[in-house]
Amino acid sequence: MLLTLIRRELLDNLMTFRFAAAVFITLLLVVANTVVLLKDYEQRLTAYNTATQESYQRLREEKTYSYYIGKLVAHRPPNPLSIFNLGLDKQVGNKINVYHGFVPTIWDAEKHRSDNPFLNLFTSIDIALVFQGILSLLALIFAYDALAGERERGTLRLVLTHPIRRGYILFAKYISAMLCLLVPLLISLLLSIVLLTTSTTIFLSTNDFLRLGGIVLTSLLYVSLFYLIGMWISAMTRRTSTALMLCMFVWGFLVLVYPNLILTAVEITPQPDTQASAYNQIKQMWEEFDRENKQLLRNDPVLGPLSRDGEGWGFYVEGGEYTFGMSEDKPSILLYFFQTGFYAGKIGAESEPQVPRLQNYYRFYNRETVNTVQRTWLVREPALEAIYIHPANLGRTLLKFSPAGLYDAATEAWAGTNLEDIQDFFNAVQRYRRAVLDYFDDEKIFESRQWFAADHGTADWDALPQFSFQRSGVDVNAKRALPDLFLLLMTNLILFTVIFLIFVRSEV
Amino acid sequence: MWHIAKRELYDNLNSLRFALATVLLFGLMLTNAVVHLREHPVRVQKYHDAITESLNRLRARTDLYEIAQWGPELLHKKPSPLHFCTDGGDIVLPGTIYQSVSRITNDLYTFWYLSYRYRTPNSKNIRPATIKVDWEFVIGYVLSLIAILFTFDSISGERERGTLRLMLANSIPRHTVLLGKFLGALISISAPLTLAVLMNLLIISVSNNVQLDAEAWRRLGIVFFVAVLYLCLFLALGLLVSSRVQQNATSLVILLLIWVSFVVFIPSTLASIASGFSNPMTYDEYRERHDRLYSELGDEYNARLQGTRELPTERMQLTGEYVTKGAARGERLSHERLNQEHAQIQLARSVTRISPVAIVQHLIEAFAGTGFERHRQFVENVQDYAREYREFVGDMDRADPDSPHTIGVREGMSKKPVNPEAVPKFEDRLSLSRDFNTAAVDLLLLVLFFVVFFSGAYLAFVRVEV
Repeated sequence: MLLTLIRRELLDNLMTFRFAAAVFITLLLVVANTVVLLKDYEQRLTAYNTATQESYQRLREEKTYSYYIGKLVAHRPPNPLSIFNLGLDKQVGNKINVYHGFVPTIWDAEKHRSDNPFLNLFTSIDIALVFQGILSLLALIFAYDALAGERERGTLRLVLTHPIRRGYILFAKYISAMLCLLVPLLISLLLSIVLLTTSTTIFLSTNDFLRLGGIVLTSLLYVSLFYLIGMWISAMTRRTSTALMLCMFVWGFLVLVYPNLILTAVEITPQPDTQASAYNQIKQMWEEFDRENKQLLRNDPVLGPLSRDGEGWGFYVEGGEYTFGMSEDKPSILLYFFQTGFYAGKIGAESEPQVPRLQNYYRFYNRETVNTVQRTWLVREPALEAIYIHPANLGRTLLKFSPAGLYDAATEAWAGTNLEDIQDFFNAVQRYRRAVLDYFDDEKIFESRQWFAADHGTADWDALPQFSFQRSGVDVNAKRALPDLFLLLMTNLILFTVIFLIFVRSEV
Repeated sequence: MWHIAKRELYDNLNSLRFALATVLLFGLMLTNAVVHLREHPVRVQKYHDAITESLNRLRARTDLYEIAQWGPELLHKKPSPLHFCTDGGDIVLPGTIYQSVSRITNDLYTFWYLSYRYRTPNSKNIRPATIKVDWEFVIGYVLSLIAILFTFDSISGERERGTLRLMLANSIPRHTVLLGKFLGALISISAPLTLAVLMNLLIISVSNNVQLDAEAWRRLGIVFFVAVLYLCLFLALGLLVSSRVQQNATSLVILLLIWVSFVVFIPSTLASIASGFSNPMTYDEYRERHDRLYSELGDEYNARLQGTRELPTERMQLTGEYVTKGAARGERLSHERLNQEHAQIQLARSVTRISPVAIVQHLIEAFAGTGFERHRQFVENVQDYAREYREFVGDMDRADPDSPHTIGVREGMSKKPVNPEAVPKFEDRLSLSRDFNTAAVDLLLLVLFFVVFFSGAYLAFVRVEV
């Protein structure tokens, strides 16, 4: 009986014009956007490869260790699954300096040179967005007359004259509609995967296919949720036209208006006070360190005094070619540091006695720098968290009140392009920085002659630990997607129960 | 006709969709106003701080050579008071134009020139991407959706219920019926729209923080006119589909699919596809040409310098020549790159004009003074100012009889201290007539769309069998 019902419903749905039109539109949009996104991904990948190559070479051009900022760079590869949900993959910086003068974070990262920055004016549409917009609409269009329509036409009464449980009817309707909705979803996903495999730059692993499976599952729950919303409205209303109107407004509100409205309305800009106080604290720590450093140099019988006014930081060493200062002062991201150094091609004979003293000084200076960075990090990390991460997460949580937001969050988690995945990368960079510093410590590079002079052997960059970043595994992706998935599932179940209760009690 | 319009109006006023649409429009416009009042003063304050800082640095210079060497400091884009109409992607557009100097030889630098370097302003942003709720969003997305929901059943619905036959049995010409339906829907949507807009403007103009001058009101008037025209367009589209189709549901499905594709997806997709057709100079290419240019200039300069070993005046003149020439060439190169980038965007924007929502976006941006066209105007203003600034340096030098008149070298220029107040100040201007010119095509296209859809609806309705 159930099968007969399902078959009837299925044929009813499949033969309609709305079904054909929806499949066509979905396919068209998915294919067009896959092509665009694929090209974009390839461009980003090329930029990544060039940049990696370039910084590899630039690092090896350096003869001394101290001038390695901007040359020891960690690059974030583009995520191939960003085609399905772009998330933050393109927006956030993908090139970050590894240096002992600061702890690398998302905000310190820069972007590989994108070709035309004005292109950011056009929003990129990923496949999840197409599904989010079109499949939800389609689900509502299938659902609005599921009950109200039959009631209006009187066929519901006819069906119920047979000895069928009401729950069966509901279930049959639900199953057949979901089967219909699966068609555009699967066909378009398959098409886009076929398009991806034609590209030589994208290689999808088994894990990626598992992730895609997760995206399909999420899409199904999302579509089913909208179908149930439509059915609910249909069960509540007497007339199809009212049901339709309500459905459309609900769709407009949930998908279009609410996500944009809530993020515009809720103030999630950083508090200037916390920012200013944290920044001042950090700046003070550095200034204190600077005073200490200058004091030490001034009193040093061999290296000091500094230049005439005692303010400069270059000491005179025979053979020194240039001195340099590294500094960043960006109050908005609480970044403040300065580092000084000098480069000597060949240290002159008269200055040779100074060298051990210099090495000793750099030992102190670099160690103190690392300690200062560690101290400022204790202030900077929670402040950045409060200024950037919390508001962003608040925004994301608020978005989850709409199924569209839930869907977006879950697919982002599956694709590995959400904030946590991006943070994974920066955590890896922080660990890498730690590893480099440990290496510097172990090999006594901070106090080595190669720190500043290139005459007795040059820096050996190949011995340095290599940076590698593995994207988190499927299990982690699944774990991150699970809460949203669960929420979607729960809403589905609740709605189904509600509809069942309404339908069972309703008079025909 | 008025009778029909009135009937439609009463029908609509009592309907659920009218209530929902009104609530939606008011809610969105209210949010927009509140957010604008919260954000705009911050924006204006930031701009004022930035220009004060630039001006102070400019004022600190009195030496003509310094003025000529370092240029006019950072030039900032003035935030539009009509920012609430549309954000226009201002978050990804650079708000500041920088100047550079380049090195010709080891110790010879060019004068300043406009290098149009920019930061990618959005890379620190980790918030979820959204569309800002501004007038553009309300008009472009919400209003068009409402228009569709008001008209999809206006003819097919009557046909389903059989009332169309009844109405046409009276001696009313068909076009009158169509026009009446159109007007009825138009009035019943524009009434809440107008009220919502008025409420929005009332909140914004009552506050002390935001001042709207006469020109701003004129611009707002035009934006409102555009909104109504756009509304008419979608009403006509709704009538067209509704009279071609037998069933309400089919009509709505067609309309919604058209709406979703043309309003939500087509503009971005097409823009991305179209921007793939042109390849502007990449940064690396630019860098390479830049380096080649200056190494060539440096070699040329060194070669010519050999010939003037004993002639200090000619040596000075040569140096001056290369300093100014280097700046001019550098500016030409960066300008070439900027033009290519702008052309790429321009092309993409022209292609998106297939979609009415893109047209409306362009129009609102043009009249609200935000977005891409506005950015181009800012660049033009900066270029005009750069010319004025350089002329000022030349004039000051000419006015001093003691100067050797060799611009580009410290010894060759006037030593008289310059009154900092006399140095031209940058003022970012907007002109309504220019905006009107750039918007004319879009305005005409919008009218054209409307005429096509409306005549389509007319033809379809006249030929329809009841």
